[in-house]
Amino acid sequence: MALQTQTGTSTDLNAQIFQRLHPRAYLERFIKEDIRPDGREATEWRDLSVHVGSISTANGSALVRLGDTTVICGVKAEIAEPDLERPKEGFLVPNIDLPALCGPRFKPGPPSEEAQVLSDRLASTITAAGVLPLSALCIHPERAVWVLYVDATCINYDGNVFDAALIAMVAALKNTTLPTATFNEETGRTMCSRKLRKPLPLECLPVSYTFGVFDGTTVLADPAAFEEPLLDTSISIVLDEGGALLSAGQLGIADKDTMSMCVSAAKERLETYGREIYAFLE
Amino acid sequence: MSFTRPDGRGNEDKRPLHIIYERLDRVDGSARFGFGDTKALASVSGPIEVRLAAEQPSKATFDVTVRPLSSLPGTESKALATSLRGLLSPSLILSRNPRTLLQLVVQSLTPSPIESYPPSLAAACINASSLALLNAGSIPMTGVVCAAGVALFRSTTEEDIPALVLDPSESESREAVGCGCFAFLFRTEIAGSQPLPTNDTPGARLVWTNWHVKDGTSDDGELARAQALGLAGAETIWRAIKQSVPQMDNLPPPPLPSRSTAGELGIITQSDEVSDQDMNDAKIEI
Repeated sequence: MALQTQTGTSTDLNAQIFQRLHPRAYLERFIKEDIRPDGREATEWRDLSVHVGSISTANGSALVRLGDTTVICGVKAEIAEPDLERPKEGFLVPNIDLPALCGPRFKPGPPSEEAQVLSDRLASTITAAGVLPLSALCIHPERAVWVLYVDATCINYDGNVFDAALIAMVAALKNTTLPTATFNEETGRTMCSRKLRKPLPLECLPVSYTFGVFDGTTVLADPAAFEEPLLDTSISIVLDEGGALLSAGQLGIADKDTMSMCVSAAKERLETYGREIYAFLE
Repeated sequence: MSFTRPDGRGNEDKRPLHIIYERLDRVDGSARFGFGDTKALASVSGPIEVRLAAEQPSKATFDVTVRPLSSLPGTESKALATSLRGLLSPSLILSRNPRTLLQLVVQSLTPSPIESYPPSLAAACINASSLALLNAGSIPMTGVVCAAGVALFRSTTEEDIPALVLDPSESESREAVGCGCFAFLFRTEIAGSQPLPTNDTPGARLVWTNWHVKDGTSDDGELARAQALGLAGAETIWRAIKQSVPQMDNLPPPPLPSRSTAGELGIITQSDEVSDQDMNDAKIEI
């Protein structure tokens, strides 16, 4: 604890410099006082806001802000031939980009490993939860199906992009309408109606709740960008609107009760706030 | 539990385990692990020289690559590699070799669907990595990570008791309502000098969960039960790994506690020339 004596004596050491040089010690001192650097309590979430339909050129879109983390997502629908093995199923292609503009950690160029891993997690969560049955995207078996490109971009990175991106993608899908399409077998072309549009038949509306474990004991809900690299363990619980567990992901050492504790904390959050997230989109 | 598995296994039975120390020439450690036909090969090199850009002043850089059996590694391979790095890191003391590189390459030996690695294959990759790290012996470790896949089936006709099965085969994990992989770090706290009883496992801590359920129920216990079954599976794998370690260096095998258990676990020893010959055959096959 040479650190403590050093900071104790030099009073002019700026808090910001201390945060930069000793991020772990900085966070430890906050946690000791039962508060986090941004003023939240350990289990407190940041404010969430969801706007839909802000991109008029997309079939559906959503802008999600979770504290300072901002993710925008647009859904673009195209028509393609289905896979030979699955002639009645369309395609759902979720993807997220972490461009250099969203934070100093990210560099311009091809998608970083972090972005690819995040995309894969989002895709597997949306597929495993069965948000949209792919058979609903069929226009004509073996000839024409819808391809939905669900593209999300992080505009401002302040931690917990997974939760924000999942909400953005599901809200954008909820906002998506597809024109009524008919396939003409004689001409082999698909015609879309100009007037009739239908919303997607979504089967469940998942919300992810991410927690981090700091120092082996303290569970922090909704970790911010400063806290994320200091966490030993990250836990994501995905629940549907009824509170049923859809998926649980965890990486790093966790005790047996930590997982169940996070599941109940996620359910509590769902009870108090979660149901409102998609409710206004009805 | 009235649920029956297609291959006639009991719900908590694994397929036969295969543990083979490959002894690839150009790497520091290598091993193959398989649950029946679901196999993975891992190799470890390190500490070796690190690229200047990836060099870390206080610890070794840990680089993990996962390769599918066919085609190029996609995002799913990258995701598994990132998970492997995260879940194996607590078992390694990387700070002992700063400014070096520890390179782990995992080659799947089983065809996998394009979108994802099934839980049993992911578990095989994890176990093969642990074996390769043990085989290399060049990186100090705090424990051994073992993993097992679990799948969930719901019966529609019977009374609603969901059946959890251990080590699902690929077709089982495709049909299951839910499936996932659980990895545990087995670590003995160095408290006393008393050696562990032979067949007892040290304390296990969860390091990785990857659980997905298609039709969710708000049953809290389901995840905990799946986790407990995963732990039971990982414990038997830990015992099999422990039994395999003395035979790692091609020494005459020590008398096993009971031959029948070794046969049951399907450990392939390479104690004599005949099995060495088999090994070479296997290498050509790959």
